[in-house]
Amino acid sequence: MLKTIAVRIVLGILTLWAVSVLIFAATEVLPGDVASAILGQGATPETLAVFRHELGLDRPAYVRYLEWFFNALHGDLGIAMTNKRVIVEVIAPRFMNTLFLAGYAALIAVPTSVVLGIIAAINEGKFIDRFVNIISLMTISVPEFFIAYVLILYLAVQFEIFPSLSTVFPEMGFVEKIYTTALPAFTLTMLVMAHMLRMTRTSVLSIMSQPYIEMAFLKGLTRSQVIVRHALPNAAAPIISVIALNLAYLIVGVVVIEVVFVYPGVGQFMVDGVTKRDLPVVQACGLIFAGAFVGLNTIADVLAIMVNPRLRHPR
Amino acid sequence: MEEYNKLKHMFDKGALSRRDFMSGVAMIGAGMAVAPSLLSGTAQAATPKVGGTFRIGMEGGSATDSLDPRTYSDSVMIAASLCVMNGLVEFDASGKPTGELLESWEAKPGAKEWVFNVRKGVKFSNGKTLNADDILYSIAIHRGETKSPAKGILKQITEIKKVNENQIAVTLEAGNADFPVILGDYHIVVVPDGFTDWQKPIGTGGYTLESFEPGVRLVFKRRGDYWKAGRANFDMVEIRNIQDPAARTAALQSGQVDAINRLDPRTVNLLMKDKKLNVVRTKGTGNRFCFVSRVTEKPFDNKDLRLALKYGIDREKIIQQVYNGFATPGNDHTLDALNPFYNTAMPQRKYDPDKAAFHFKKAGLGDAKIELQASEGAWGSAVDCATLYQESLKKAKINLDVKKVSADGYWDNVWLKVPFCAVYWGRRLSADQTFTQVYGSGSDWNDSNWRVPEFDKLIGEARAELDDKKRKELYFHAQEMIAEDGGMICFAITDYLDGYAKNVMGADPHARYDMNDDRIAEKGWFA
Repeated sequence: MLKTIAVRIVLGILTLWAVSVLIFAATEVLPGDVASAILGQGATPETLAVFRHELGLDRPAYVRYLEWFFNALHGDLGIAMTNKRVIVEVIAPRFMNTLFLAGYAALIAVPTSVVLGIIAAINEGKFIDRFVNIISLMTISVPEFFIAYVLILYLAVQFEIFPSLSTVFPEMGFVEKIYTTALPAFTLTMLVMAHMLRMTRTSVLSIMSQPYIEMAFLKGLTRSQVIVRHALPNAAAPIISVIALNLAYLIVGVVVIEVVFVYPGVGQFMVDGVTKRDLPVVQACGLIFAGAFVGLNTIADVLAIMVNPRLRHPR
Repeated sequence: MEEYNKLKHMFDKGALSRRDFMSGVAMIGAGMAVAPSLLSGTAQAATPKVGGTFRIGMEGGSATDSLDPRTYSDSVMIAASLCVMNGLVEFDASGKPTGELLESWEAKPGAKEWVFNVRKGVKFSNGKTLNADDILYSIAIHRGETKSPAKGILKQITEIKKVNENQIAVTLEAGNADFPVILGDYHIVVVPDGFTDWQKPIGTGGYTLESFEPGVRLVFKRRGDYWKAGRANFDMVEIRNIQDPAARTAALQSGQVDAINRLDPRTVNLLMKDKKLNVVRTKGTGNRFCFVSRVTEKPFDNKDLRLALKYGIDREKIIQQVYNGFATPGNDHTLDALNPFYNTAMPQRKYDPDKAAFHFKKAGLGDAKIELQASEGAWGSAVDCATLYQESLKKAKINLDVKKVSADGYWDNVWLKVPFCAVYWGRRLSADQTFTQVYGSGSDWNDSNWRVPEFDKLIGEARAELDDKKRKELYFHAQEMIAEDGGMICFAITDYLDGYAKNVMGADPHARYDMNDDRIAEKGWFA
């Protein structure tokens, strides 16, 4: 089992490296010369040459890639071309914000959806099963900004319970942060719950037709005992990978939520970088997103191996 | 990315401010002729009170923002810069240049040589007293080897020098009576001589910078000894970046901010009903939406056809249906009605299918189809406008074929290339700039390709004319020429729409920009 896990981790690192090549190549083939895109058409050939040299664009691509890659390994992501700020310093608090919101939403969403999924499986076909299914399907069927606006309309504008601006600042305390970001966290919870809930329900139910479950019933166990003790451990692998996918989504896919709630996360930062063609910023964001995605999936793979009874106790 | 593409063409060359575009598109809206009372301001007690934290929610900022004036391109940084720094020239509510750090000026006849007087007794936040060197430095950073967007408009300076501590002299390559207006460009703000630390700018403004997170917020603190009496009245000013119009509106409604820019014209009627809020509308100073034909291409070389196309557009209907009434009809040239030289004597061209049919028949084109290319890449609702245009032309028995083209590369592949297409123009600093850039023979962006030596002579004369009355006559005639003979159908100019909490005073409309010329932090106070 340890070997399997080690292989997964190595594969994750290789994936990340491949992604870093892709990110660099993608920004490399963006149409137009970066220097002239920034300097505009008023630039003289001399200023262009100076600026290209300043950006290091006069050197071959592979040299620049290696330099960028090794600097990134040392935690140096370069300097933003537009406002000359050190990217790590700007991106670190924003990434912490993104993680904070993702963690907040996940802490609500993951337990709720797994528990509700199990309850739905136990009560398959009954009212409660249908009810949670319909509600979760509804929240996933409407666009994210719609949920966000509805929450803002009722909870922020009409009843003024929560703020509609969820911008967090360094001087805020933990409790204040939790309160300020309540609305985006609720919105994200609704967005990711359906997927996890239904996956829990389905994988538990698919295990239920197995012979050993029948055996458990024949031993005289109740339905809930069978599900929690016998079905759930075997159904855990797909549930974990769905949870990982959704966590990754919470980190990399919430630009719209960031915009609607004015939340200073990495998503908006990357969009701004792309619009202004600030390549070091785009590369840094891409790398961080890829890292989060690959990391979470690797963790999910490892966990899935560890919880699987058959892999845990090899014959 | 459309704005970016247009930028590539124009803004980089100093011809177009992205801000003009962004703000205009944010208010896809329409309106009536401008009421003169519009600029008289709201009736409110004129004794400002000091105190409070003023929170502004604004669109027009980005995580890539910097306080370096050579990088400004949108509202947030313009408003922010004016908290900490001052410009050379300020504009009154009607758009006329008044003194700011350049207190007064004088031009020799011919408007080629200028002398500017530097305001005395003004102190920077580091204690230094303002003098001519600071002014020269603040202009110099936009000239020579720089990527400043103001570089283009300052090219006309052939010599600029210090006369004494409080006076500078400027010589231009040719006479330009609007030169003080040019110096009012929002990129030109004043810092001490030799200053380079743009993370912590030093200025003569009413506030000092407390903190700056690009794309998130800027916080300013009152300096207390501001040289403008009765200005900069808030203890603290906070500018928050809020890109989403619905988020801005919600923040204003729930009292989390005190002012917002660029209201959504589709919902502004509902906001006007809110008793806690005050909607300030500046009519017809935003984007100018046009359909432009190239007069050198067949069949648009026919003046009667051009007239038919001008009479055949139902401006009111487009403004009502597409812009919810929050725009002003255009009179087939891109000067707005708040410009001091706007031709008020020329009647507003109205929808007249009979006249359109008459001129179309006179053009002798039979039942030829006219093709108009439009795209979301021109501006968000260009295709809707074109479709309504098609409908209104039908009544005049003119067949318009609306061809929807790709938004991607619109400014590269369609604009200035095809004979008839949708185009928007932004506000220019002055009447002269408008006419020279949009219609002058020497302009690369003369998109109607209408190049008339008589017209060039006319605006050349007006440029060097210091007598406003004579200039007005010349500019009036210029507008008539464009509207009568030119290839442009300019049918709507959008309104600026700001939202304020009721207790914010000093929130008046301004002829130049929204948010009281982006100076609401300086001009406003809490009741």
